[in-house]
Amino acid sequence: MKSSIHDSGGASLSLLEVKDLVIEYTTQKGTVHAVDGISFALDEGEALGLAGESGCGKTTTALALMRLLPHNGRIIRGSIRFRGKNLVTLSELSIRRIRWKEISIIFQGAMNSLNPIRRIGDQIAEPILLHEGVEKQVARRRAGDLLEVVGINRNRLRDYPHEFSGGMRQRVMIAMALACNPKIVIADEPVTALDVMIQAQILELLERLKRELDLSMILISHDLSVMAETCDRVAIMYAGRMMEYGQTVDIFTGPKHPYTQGLVGAFPDIRGARTIPESIPGAVPSLINPPSGCVFHPRCKFAFDRCTDHIPSPSAVSGRDVACFLYPEVQEVSPRLVEAKL
Amino acid sequence: MLRELTGRAALWVRAVDGVSFDIRRGEVYCLVGESGCGKTTTGKSLVGLVDATDGDVFLEMPDAAYREYESLVGRPKDATALGAIDRLRRKYSFTWKESLRWTPIQYALLAAMVGAGFLGSLSLVALVAAYDSGALLDAGTTVGLSVIMGVLLGGIAAFPPTRPDRRTASVAAVLAAVGFNILPMLASWLASAVQAGAPGFDPYESWAIAWGGNTFGMLIGQVFAPAAAGGVARVVIGVRQSRGGLMGIKMRTLRRRLHLIFQDPYESLNPKQSVLEIVQEPLRVNHISSDPGEITALVRGALEDAGLRPPEEFMFRFPHELSGGQRQRVSIAAALVLRPDFIVADEPVSMLDVSIRTEILQLMLQLREKRDLTYLFITHDLGLAWILADRVAVMYLGKIVEEGTAEQVIAHPKHPYTQALISVVPSPDPRKKVERVILKGERPDPVDIPKGCRFHPRCPVAFEKCGWSSNEIAEELKSLSTAGVLPGIAQMEAQNPWTVALAVVPGTTPEAFIETFRRVVKEHRDSQRALKGIAGVRTRGGYVYVKLHPGSEPRLVELEPGNTVACHLVTSPAEAPHALTA
Repeated sequence: MKSSIHDSGGASLSLLEVKDLVIEYTTQKGTVHAVDGISFALDEGEALGLAGESGCGKTTTALALMRLLPHNGRIIRGSIRFRGKNLVTLSELSIRRIRWKEISIIFQGAMNSLNPIRRIGDQIAEPILLHEGVEKQVARRRAGDLLEVVGINRNRLRDYPHEFSGGMRQRVMIAMALACNPKIVIADEPVTALDVMIQAQILELLERLKRELDLSMILISHDLSVMAETCDRVAIMYAGRMMEYGQTVDIFTGPKHPYTQGLVGAFPDIRGARTIPESIPGAVPSLINPPSGCVFHPRCKFAFDRCTDHIPSPSAVSGRDVACFLYPEVQEVSPRLVEAKL
Repeated sequence: MLRELTGRAALWVRAVDGVSFDIRRGEVYCLVGESGCGKTTTGKSLVGLVDATDGDVFLEMPDAAYREYESLVGRPKDATALGAIDRLRRKYSFTWKESLRWTPIQYALLAAMVGAGFLGSLSLVALVAAYDSGALLDAGTTVGLSVIMGVLLGGIAAFPPTRPDRRTASVAAVLAAVGFNILPMLASWLASAVQAGAPGFDPYESWAIAWGGNTFGMLIGQVFAPAAAGGVARVVIGVRQSRGGLMGIKMRTLRRRLHLIFQDPYESLNPKQSVLEIVQEPLRVNHISSDPGEITALVRGALEDAGLRPPEEFMFRFPHELSGGQRQRVSIAAALVLRPDFIVADEPVSMLDVSIRTEILQLMLQLREKRDLTYLFITHDLGLAWILADRVAVMYLGKIVEEGTAEQVIAHPKHPYTQALISVVPSPDPRKKVERVILKGERPDPVDIPKGCRFHPRCPVAFEKCGWSSNEIAEELKSLSTAGVLPGIAQMEAQNPWTVALAVVPGTTPEAFIETFRRVVKEHRDSQRALKGIAGVRTRGGYVYVKLHPGSEPRLVELEPGNTVACHLVTSPAEAPHALTA
């Protein structure tokens, strides 16, 4: 069963289209089903949010888009089409022409992603030198321009990472991601370890860059509220599967999937009533041995017998994709695919 | 009731600078602020993990005593007021350290103590010498004399008015033991030297003479004299404590009552210890119990209260076998096992997933009811403060800028910093858009705290009185000059903290420059707030001098009952921006 992607319909292709992606890690304890059949699309100039609790496959998805999975990770099935090219089957040589030049990533944890013994300027210039083969001076000038784009004075090019605060380092990471004028920037937890005020500054910067440089963005975060104001569309992931996928406003104002309802409801609203939000009982399951049927059913308060042995496939429910049997429109993943996996 | 006052920690950095607040029993008190604003330092100083350089943490201070303290602190310092303050601090403060500097009187007392010991032993020898060997020296007399000397020594040793210590009793006892052996020995040798003219020093001989060769009396005296010295010292200290209050209160006794939950459950638990070991450790360290059965029972109770049910299933697991939420529950259980009544929770949920976060918060609130707990909740998340706190204090660079009930501070913030912080908290509902006030820059380095109001360089509504410095104004003028808005500046210098001196380029007269200067400042003073600090501009000797408004640091002022704010805008309504005067 194909999942429906409304916005990419028609002849025009999306900039990036992920279909039925399955990624597994081989570990000593067994095979980890990190990402299990997710599909989404990203249009030009659009921001997409990938949300979910830790260990639900967000970062794995991001790394797969860059083909940077660790050696024990493997893309089992599915396609990642960037402007029609399938990144999954591209050779390592050709993927290098796309990585960082077309799709770049702001890695998680700005504090630790920079090399502590190299100057900021050299680190930003490195991808420029590698990909564009320009003179060192040109690359350095570009690095200075990039620093100014992210709001840092260019005379700090010769500083080392320890001379920057957390927020500034995150800006440097953003400058690095922009080094080769990419079309898509993946931001993996860009504001997680930062202060509220710095968070707001970084989010504002990302929004501005997206607007001014006409970037497409994939924002990965466990914090749904970060996405409420920055993303056009949101995909909610749980235990490697897509639970709900649609326009941000729809998802925040009328979540359909019980998990999304739980996530949205778990946020304290500073402009709302002073009540302790509801929690979702239980914990994220192990991905080595995920629950049968719908992965969320052990924690779901609406679970019924169909949930335990049939896997819901994300299907169109009131303008978005939902994978939950509570809605009669939702189909199940065809037995053929389930068998193929076993 | 818990009373805290002025927790201040300064190593090289003034992390916390004159913070005062009250926490009432059963309250959830939230400290909110950006990282590095001194929240954690404040929290740690309350449980004695950081020593405050100045100030007090008052514990269970009655209202009347606190009012007395406040009135005394506000008064000019005279000897009686200082004495009364010291009395109150001695009684209720557990961070109070009595001055250990000795006065001449205390030195004299110490000298008297040493002298008395020496004279005492000399008199013992004199008795020996006077009554020839053994006339009076039966066992009873020797023991009696020893005990009298011990009592004297104990009393004197416990008397110096330093912070009394149980150790004083041991010191007195050791002094007595040493004194009764060495001093008589030396004294009898001296005496015989005077009488017979420099005989050779034979330690055993001298010692035997001093004690009259009465081995039995000597043995008993050696036991009783130190015992008497120690006992008397203890009694004297006890009396002084009962009259002086909590004097000499030990963190060790408070450790059971004040506890901490750490931020990161992934790092605060020892990976080599099982849950049972982690939770029982406070019991062992504080010598609560050494009976394995009792310890296990206490641990089981704490685990159950922390929501790890059944406890047997978790007791023998190791941290890596637990999820993040369960780890934090173990952390909570370890804090609960001593049955504290005050807990400092330092960002207890910031490392947890959203769905688990709420469970931990609910658990903490349930425990408050069940165990009658009081919380100091440290968080950077105003959303959490909103749903949890009874009272909230917002900190910036080591100072509280606003304090009040959650309703007062979060629903109706008065300080510009609080307003900005609240405006950037994302709402889970994208339809509830509010205008975000994003502050420029980052917090300044606490080593170099801005003059005047410490928030003014980032404040979106700063005005004349906020304490602009000439360096800031010079910086601002320079940027205007390089942008080409304010032409004609050849050189510029911050002459002193309140004056900037300018030299104009040749070809412009200072008068003409002042004309443009006034116009430009008028146009830009709403966007570049630093320009508001300019009070006037005039020319002298071909130079232009820009004079600044005097600034001051705003004090916390009570606006409504229980709501205090430190901002010039609130305390004195903004005066109409007056025109530049020459």
